[in-house]
Amino acid sequence: MIEEAARELAARGESARRVARDPVNLPMIRNWTEAIGDDNPTYEHYAPPAMAQVWTMPGLAGQRPADDPLGAMVAVLDEAGYTSVVATDSEQTYHRYLSPGETVEVSSRLDGVTGPKRTALGEGWFVTTRSTWYVGDEPVAEMMFRVLKFRPSGVAGTAIRPAVSSDTEFFWAGTALGELRIQRCGGCGRLRHPPGPMCPSCRQTRPGYVVAAGEGTVYSYVVHHHPPVPGRAAPFVVALVELTEGVRMLAELVGVPPSEVHIGLEVRVGFSRVDGELTLPVWRRR
Amino acid sequence: MTGIGEVLPELVIEVTPTFVISTALATRDFQDVHHDPELARERGSAGIFLNILTDTGLVSRFVTDWAGPDALVRRISLRLGVPCHAHETLRLTGRVTGHAVADGEDRWEVSVVGANSLGDHVTATVWVVRR
Amino acid sequence: MTAAIAGIGATEFSKDSGRSELALAAHAGLAAITDAGLRPSDVDGMVTFTMDANAETALARELGVPELTFFGRVPYGGGAACAVVAHAAMAVATGAASTVLCYRAFNERSGRRFGQVHTPDGVDNGWHYPMGLVTPAASVAMFARRYQHEYDVTSEDFGRVAVLDRRAAATNPNAWFHGRPITLADHQASRWIVEPLRLLDCCQETDGAVALVVTTVDRARDLPRHPVVIAAAAQGSAADQFTMHSYYRDDLTGLPELGLVGRALWAGSGIGPEDLSALVLYDHFTPFVLVQLEELGFCARGEARHLLADGTLELDGRLPLNPHGGQLGEAYVHGMNGITEAVRQLRGTAANQIRDAEHVLVTAGTGVPTSGLVLSR
Repeated sequence: MIEEAARELAARGESARRVARDPVNLPMIRNWTEAIGDDNPTYEHYAPPAMAQVWTMPGLAGQRPADDPLGAMVAVLDEAGYTSVVATDSEQTYHRYLSPGETVEVSSRLDGVTGPKRTALGEGWFVTTRSTWYVGDEPVAEMMFRVLKFRPSGVAGTAIRPAVSSDTEFFWAGTALGELRIQRCGGCGRLRHPPGPMCPSCRQTRPGYVVAAGEGTVYSYVVHHHPPVPGRAAPFVVALVELTEGVRMLAELVGVPPSEVHIGLEVRVGFSRVDGELTLPVWRRR
Repeated sequence: MTGIGEVLPELVIEVTPTFVISTALATRDFQDVHHDPELARERGSAGIFLNILTDTGLVSRFVTDWAGPDALVRRISLRLGVPCHAHETLRLTGRVTGHAVADGEDRWEVSVVGANSLGDHVTATVWVVRR
Repeated sequence: MTAAIAGIGATEFSKDSGRSELALAAHAGLAAITDAGLRPSDVDGMVTFTMDANAETALARELGVPELTFFGRVPYGGGAACAVVAHAAMAVATGAASTVLCYRAFNERSGRRFGQVHTPDGVDNGWHYPMGLVTPAASVAMFARRYQHEYDVTSEDFGRVAVLDRRAAATNPNAWFHGRPITLADHQASRWIVEPLRLLDCCQETDGAVALVVTTVDRARDLPRHPVVIAAAAQGSAADQFTMHSYYRDDLTGLPELGLVGRALWAGSGIGPEDLSALVLYDHFTPFVLVQLEELGFCARGEARHLLADGTLELDGRLPLNPHGGQLGEAYVHGMNGITEAVRQLRGTAANQIRDAEHVLVTAGTGVPTSGLVLSR
């Protein structure tokens, strides 16, 4: 039923072209550069390429045209119970920069619908559309735009929480403050992670901690693909990192494409706040 | 001289409510979640948040601030992560990760991450020509 | 050792048993008791896995076992497999019981699947699960990546374990993958689960139960089946041990807890690696099969890939590995089906019978505190 509707909508091809309300113009460009904080002087002569879509936005009173493929597909998925939406990715390609006075037109088509997929947010369908902006018959910019239409699930975004004991609470109190803490024995000074109540070197039970510099190198790592994990979008990387202080620690490695991760990659800790009660350490490329 | 591995100067944006609203309107995006805190909360958000057209604009600004006014942005590909609500600080970092010659142009690939206190808000790849 | 395995039993291996786990345990338990030529009233001890959902009391009620003078459980998932036999052997050796039923029963495919995301208890897990390392495959993949890095081991080297297991399973009518061998290309084409592990590096999921009866060697000699002697049984937990996440040791490419088991087995049995007729190595994930071969002394560190590539471990090789097809090929019953395979090999009744099998080594779950057995004819 969903696949059938998707096939039918995709087969319709490009929608009728919709003409921008205004030609490319300096006042709107200046509103944009002022708001974004972009002082690039070239935009006194050309429109910022990232404004391509702005020219054809429907605006406050505007309506999506009846043949808009995204609107039609969203209606089908709403009907099927996939009522929530979130944009996941986009890719804009700019063939040339536009000058004030040019009038653009846009046309969209449905590229594909895939699903149902189990995602961290819930079961859903990815809807991909492609739009092309024209001046006359010349394509000047293109965009792939993908949204996830999903049925919110009970586990959506539910983070897996650590069991915290009186031996480990200092660590989690630290992450909440943006500190990466390593247990340090109050007797012999040995650093230890994961922490515990009694020092295995000197058997004293006076643990303290030091705040780590937060830098280290990847000792090993994995790229998780299956199964879906609540609160995370696969594929994601989890890395075991050797800190400069000499202990190893495990956390998600973010902001680096899996293909670029390697043993020996230099990383620095960051902190990802899940909610008021839990902040996780994460690794980022140094 | 540009080279793979070059790190771009960081850009820090204080995401005030004024910033969220003025950028939403400047991109002609009038959806209530970008300007009406009450309605945004009713829809399950923590408050008003940045729209995707602004993310594209910020990534473009971040790259051309580094590449210079004569640079040409050819492609911006971005993936969205955690939302960026008003009162957040958005920190854009990036580095040059690739180089290719296409259509007779020297194109540099720049990988950009915009992170806030919740995590990565936007992860982008930009193709830019430096002139 | 003074103990022997006198009887074995199992249910069918399926993806949806359609029965309760207790029904599976009762079926397999009765089959093992009957196979031993005993009656339920002869049983006076029981051992199972801490993870097993069936209480000893419940199984005793179903089977009509009137009295138990010994019962115990072994923790750490599949690491318990050979240890339940070790505990039973100790019980009969000390006289705590005369006849002990060991069992493991679960609906691991149609019920709670280990490979899905669960929220575990325990402070130790707090260093791994919340960070996104949430499945057994992911836990093992972390070791496997480092092992690959240090010894130039490839995904294909891992794949050869799966190909070997599936080749044996193809000619074992009890195996789920009977008649369905795979090629190395199939392995390489299978999707990533957690890099560097592919789907075909991960064992299957099974509904089923396995049980066996342990008694003294003397008593076993009076029973109809040829007794299979427990030449040695051992458990192992090594320095800085975690369950699945021993990531904080200097070296990530070994399984020292299994090395410990191996040394205890050779010393306890007087049998060495060179005396074995076949190996049944725990194969929930392929990389640890390579590491086990190294830990147990069949080859040097980083060299197990050559043993897999040169045919040594094939059914017609010098030292056949997993002649039933392993858990990748036959069934995943937490290692217990590997013990019953060793018994069949030593009785001479296996589907892929190794000629003149005299001594068989069996190992239990790896990456966790583990255990092992040397069984002899």
